[in-house]
Amino acid sequence: MAPTLRAVRALVLLAGFHLLGLLLLGALAAIDWAAVTWTAGFVYTKVIIVSVLLAVPVVRGMVMLRTPRDDGETPGPRVTEADEPRLWQTVRELAEQVGTRAPDEIVLVAGVNAAVTEDARLGGLLPGPRRMYLGLSLMAGLDETQLRAVVAHELGHFVHADTRLGALVGRGQAQVLRTIGHFEERAENTAAKERARQERRAAKRVARGKEAKAVDTSGSGITYRTMARIYTGYAKLYVRATRSDSRRQEFAADLAAARIAGRDATAAALRATCALDAAHDHYMRCYATIGVDAGLLPRPGEVFGGLRRLLAARADELSGLHGRLPDAAEGPYDTHPPMAERVARIEALPYDGRGGESAGPSLGLLADADGRFAEIEKYALTPQALGLRRVDWPELVHESIRAEREAASGPLRAAVAAERGGPGTASAMLDAIDAGALWRIGDQLPQSGAARAATGRAAREFARPGLHSGLRQLVVLELADRGAARWELSWSEAARLDLSPGLAGRLGPALDAAVADRPDTGPLRALLAAGEADADGKGRSEAV
Amino acid sequence: MFMIVLIVLAVPTVGFLVWLGGVFVREYVRVSRGGDRHDAAVAGLVPAERQDTALAAPLPAAERAALDAVREGRWEPAAAVLTEIGRDWERRSAFTYLLGELAADDDTWLTAWEQTRRDCPDAAVVRARSTVVLAWNVRGAKRARYTSREQFEGFHRVLEQAGADIERAAQLNPDDPTPHIAAIWVALGLGAPRAEMDRIWAEVTARAPHHYEAHFSALQYWCKKWRGSRRLAMAFAEQAAAAAPAGSLLTAFPLIAFFEHDGEDAEGTDEPEDVESEAMQRRVDAALRDVAAADASHPRLAEVRHLLAYYCLLQGRVDESAENFRLVDGYVGALPWRYRGDDQAEHFCDMRDIALKGAADVAFHLDGAPPQA
Repeated sequence: MAPTLRAVRALVLLAGFHLLGLLLLGALAAIDWAAVTWTAGFVYTKVIIVSVLLAVPVVRGMVMLRTPRDDGETPGPRVTEADEPRLWQTVRELAEQVGTRAPDEIVLVAGVNAAVTEDARLGGLLPGPRRMYLGLSLMAGLDETQLRAVVAHELGHFVHADTRLGALVGRGQAQVLRTIGHFEERAENTAAKERARQERRAAKRVARGKEAKAVDTSGSGITYRTMARIYTGYAKLYVRATRSDSRRQEFAADLAAARIAGRDATAAALRATCALDAAHDHYMRCYATIGVDAGLLPRPGEVFGGLRRLLAARADELSGLHGRLPDAAEGPYDTHPPMAERVARIEALPYDGRGGESAGPSLGLLADADGRFAEIEKYALTPQALGLRRVDWPELVHESIRAEREAASGPLRAAVAAERGGPGTASAMLDAIDAGALWRIGDQLPQSGAARAATGRAAREFARPGLHSGLRQLVVLELADRGAARWELSWSEAARLDLSPGLAGRLGPALDAAVADRPDTGPLRALLAAGEADADGKGRSEAV
Repeated sequence: MFMIVLIVLAVPTVGFLVWLGGVFVREYVRVSRGGDRHDAAVAGLVPAERQDTALAAPLPAAERAALDAVREGRWEPAAAVLTEIGRDWERRSAFTYLLGELAADDDTWLTAWEQTRRDCPDAAVVRARSTVVLAWNVRGAKRARYTSREQFEGFHRVLEQAGADIERAAQLNPDDPTPHIAAIWVALGLGAPRAEMDRIWAEVTARAPHHYEAHFSALQYWCKKWRGSRRLAMAFAEQAAAAAPAGSLLTAFPLIAFFEHDGEDAEGTDEPEDVESEAMQRRVDAALRDVAAADASHPRLAEVRHLLAYYCLLQGRVDESAENFRLVDGYVGALPWRYRGDDQAEHFCDMRDIALKGAADVAFHLDGAPPQA
């Protein structure tokens, strides 16, 4: 198909998307008209009632088709040219080189992403204000030339790809995708509102002493979801039909980036972004939010900014990841070609003489990166999260893991408390073991089916690992409280339990003895006592 | 006059009744002689619900009494039996296994034994065997894919412990092959390489070259379901049977190797062997001769009779089958029934009844009279 024809087809499909509601309404009206003309009064009254009922969601859908305008709330701070002159200068230069209009706004956001959006008017027919989003976490992982490649790629999407209509198709597609997202959001909101309403009602019923009804939101938001389904179905058709165009655009944007930022920098940026995504997920899960259950967050500026520490400590590991790209199979609705294919195409370009340029970190484009990382927390964190206690990293890791271990040992402490009363400490468990209650405690712990079915010594073998690890946890918690054990933060690997050197080697054998068939709690008691003496005497010089 | 009339009437009536009675009696006798032929053949045999599923044959009285004492927590009779058994390695391995099974469930008595007689090699070998049995109890008897990670972890942990117990038992009684037999099961469970199996096997055969349980255990290692293949298992069994003196009962192993791989796809170009093939006939013949030559007190004799009862029946040799069924009836804790799970006794009884009825039919047709039970 010729480029122009392709573009015309895309335009017709795009128009169809907006005409869909009108067509549906027209069809209903035609049925009504036919009913009024050819049938008796009571029949056409019914037909009209039904068609009105059907028209309601169609009209709502058409209303929803208007993409929401910004209500002034952005996911991060808008930065002006006065705030960040170097960043703005870079973006303007790139826009000029790409051959498109520079964005009107730059918004800094959290996370590994970069995007340029345009609030196109008339359903994608006319250009509108452009806004560039730049993720601070992305900037943390890229050097300046790589960031230039990413920005050039994003701006490249606005270049007239192969015909004048190409840009229009691109805008239209973005609009369709945003609309679908908006539909889904509305449907979810309606369901959420309904849920909240039902929960309030259930709470009232409970308050009045009645049994609460189960909350059921399957019916709510149904008109939105019906409309969303109709439009999503159409959008899928649209995306399928224009998929080759969007793939071509993606490659064209990559070419633009390679031309401007250099072949090697562009390929490196794509590779780095994949690795960075994984690193960022890991960082958020295992570092930034590790203390949330314990009510703790890292110091201001560190919630997102701490990623830089992880990247610095794991530079080698990450550059190893650059070599491997996800090679997921392409789905029919993917608008992006697989990353591996994009990188391969870029790397197949001829050498452009810009290989070994070393560039500073892209965060250097910001006047005050630390300040931006602190500022972004106000946008990205919920009010509850902002209310959490802020502590230094070493304390955060230690306290979080301590709290997590304490919670995990709940069932064992309850079982020990059932034997000896009190809070169920390691010492209490040792007393219980000496009193012959080891296997009775084991019976209280969660068991698998095979473990429950086992009898005699086999039952003990099923219980032993749980008792062993549980007692270890209680002992370590007790040592931690006495200052003889501490969980150590490491940016390059998982947090590690740091025991006083005198204790570390003795702990395993002492635990084995305590949960043996003929238990001997002596070694563990000695170890706990030594931990105390250790902590009292010279403090903990060897850790932290 | 009246009496005469009465007599005249009564005589034919009585005559009729007598004739009728005669017919009944004749009919009754004929039915019972013919129809009960099979019932007579199986009369006096043990019904499925009264079969002992744990043992292959009754134990010697002293051993039975010692096991009963152990169940009550007294270890001394068991220790006395082991002293009496002495260097009869066949009996020693068989009896220590039974003790090990009991200790795998509750080892209070064994602990008492160990504490009373420090470094007693008999207690040590029972300890080693019990730890291996315990490992298997933790694992369960199901195939790997039905066994949970938790079960495997416990299995491996306890097997590691068993290794230490075995080493201790071997040191305390260097001549005894029993600890090395236990070591085969550790190697099997931990997936030891064949070189390790060869090393253990050298230890075993140096002490007891034709030991039944040792061969049974090693054959398991070489079976396809564990660490070997049909071909390796068959080769091992044939070689053992060929090298063994008459009465050692090692001729059972080609039959067991066949049984372990029966119904599986043949490997490579080997066609699955037929149970009535010439080779199988020869194997059964050899085992029949071996059983005849064996000492009546051999602790494994009954196990081989169970196998023979089964394979003779499958080969249509009903008399030999029936004879072996009669000799082992009452105990079904042996191959091939043991793999049948809950209906092992029913399986045995079904096959036994077929054999005995078949033998009765054959005898009836030959002699025209039921055989003497």
